[in-house]
Amino acid sequence: MAHHFLEVVSVTDAGRVRQYNEDSVAIDRNKGVMVLADGMGGHRAGEIASNMATEIILSSLRANVAKFGSRARDLSPMRAIDQSINRANTAVYEAAKTQSTYRGMGTTLVVALFHDNRVALGHIGDSRIYRLRGEVLELLTRDDSLLRDQVELGLISAADASASHNRSLVTRALGIDKNAAAHVREEDASPGDLFLLCSDGLNDVVEDTDIELIVRALKTNLPLAAHHLIQAATDNGGYDNVSVILAKVLKPFPATKRSRWLSRLFGWIR
Amino acid sequence: MAKLVLSSGGSVLYQCFLDKDRVGIGRQPHNQVVVDDAAVNGEHAAIFQVGNDHVLEDLHSTSGTFVNGVRVLRHILQHGDVIEFGALYLRYLNPRATSEIDLERTMLVAGLYVSGDDARHERGSLAAEIRVPSARAARIRFPRGRVSAIAGSRAGKTIELDRVVALFGKSGDQLAVVTRRPHGYFITHVEGLRFPRVNHQSIGRGSRMLNSGDVFEVADEKLEFVLD
Repeated sequence: MAHHFLEVVSVTDAGRVRQYNEDSVAIDRNKGVMVLADGMGGHRAGEIASNMATEIILSSLRANVAKFGSRARDLSPMRAIDQSINRANTAVYEAAKTQSTYRGMGTTLVVALFHDNRVALGHIGDSRIYRLRGEVLELLTRDDSLLRDQVELGLISAADASASHNRSLVTRALGIDKNAAAHVREEDASPGDLFLLCSDGLNDVVEDTDIELIVRALKTNLPLAAHHLIQAATDNGGYDNVSVILAKVLKPFPATKRSRWLSRLFGWIR
Repeated sequence: MAKLVLSSGGSVLYQCFLDKDRVGIGRQPHNQVVVDDAAVNGEHAAIFQVGNDHVLEDLHSTSGTFVNGVRVLRHILQHGDVIEFGALYLRYLNPRATSEIDLERTMLVAGLYVSGDDARHERGSLAAEIRVPSARAARIRFPRGRVSAIAGSRAGKTIELDRVVALFGKSGDQLAVVTRRPHGYFITHVEGLRFPRVNHQSIGRGSRMLNSGDVFEVADEKLEFVLD
């Protein structure tokens, strides 16, 4: 599609130290869906968990995008994200329960669904979503991590947090409990906005100010921007797997008239 | 497991493992680490375990708590840290707690919020206002370079290349990025129909390492690269 409203680029890299890449990304640009997960668990189970999660969420959202606003049963993008995360959670949880090599596996998750000039966001764990709007990079997610809790409760200062060894400790993950406790929210998405989804392999070693500088400088060349982000993580140690998805909004994307009209009609006769 | 070693004048007086959530340090005998020195308060300091960290906290002591010669109120202990109490030294040993980035695998732990507290961060919460910074990358050293502008809007100026990237040229016309990496600086084409030129030669789509003295041209800018 030559005139699509989104430009999307993704890169995932094992890094310089780890043997396996336990991150997964899944994208459907035409449906405006992108998912990124950072798996955890021994014997490569993290790879299984992050793969299951991204694939299930992508296919579930793909199937639901057509339904938005076109049925009496009002399925909002946020609800669709919630449902897809729950579906993935159950699948990973059941797999971990039934197969001994998968025991304890889980994954962090970030998902973005672009629809009707807005973007619905879901997240669990310490993967992140940022938005570059104008010159400013905003963090749109709150890490589910012990370190984050410590800083927020004033137990340690934000400056001291860089000396902490609690970076790898997350307080929530997908597939660990029977129910997923995901954070879901919605933001507007305007032409020019650039969204960044990433695993902690990026922001653990590259300061937000440097991430901001890279995406701001290279926003006209997304493949180069993605490459630079991965390279910055590698140059700062590359201790962890690192993945990024960059999505730039090229033009407004209102929901089609037909579905709006139908939803109004159904809303009225309901 | 983390360990504390108390010594004076080179001889070890006492050592213990840090296997409790809280370890008290002071002159009083009920402390886990008893420091018999007149300059030390009855309850002088304490070490708390939070996740993988041991956090040293001064308990409003009269003479203060010093780590590696610096007075601290609260400090995340690093392997090899020396805590000073008058003439006594308390050394923290934990090979897993080095200032270099750890390779610990991701693990799930309980959060610090009691469930209700966390509710304000649920649905519809606003953008995170507090940021957790990235880890301290102690060992990575970057080169120091700069460019002198020979022609263009910044002619006569010197631009320090002290960040990860710097842009040259003109947006919408021709842009190139100079990237700082541990092993040197690199120039890459970003946008525009023409490619940047280094020493009068087009660099094409790839990136090219810059040597000290190289002259590059992007849009109307002409610049000389200098490496320390």
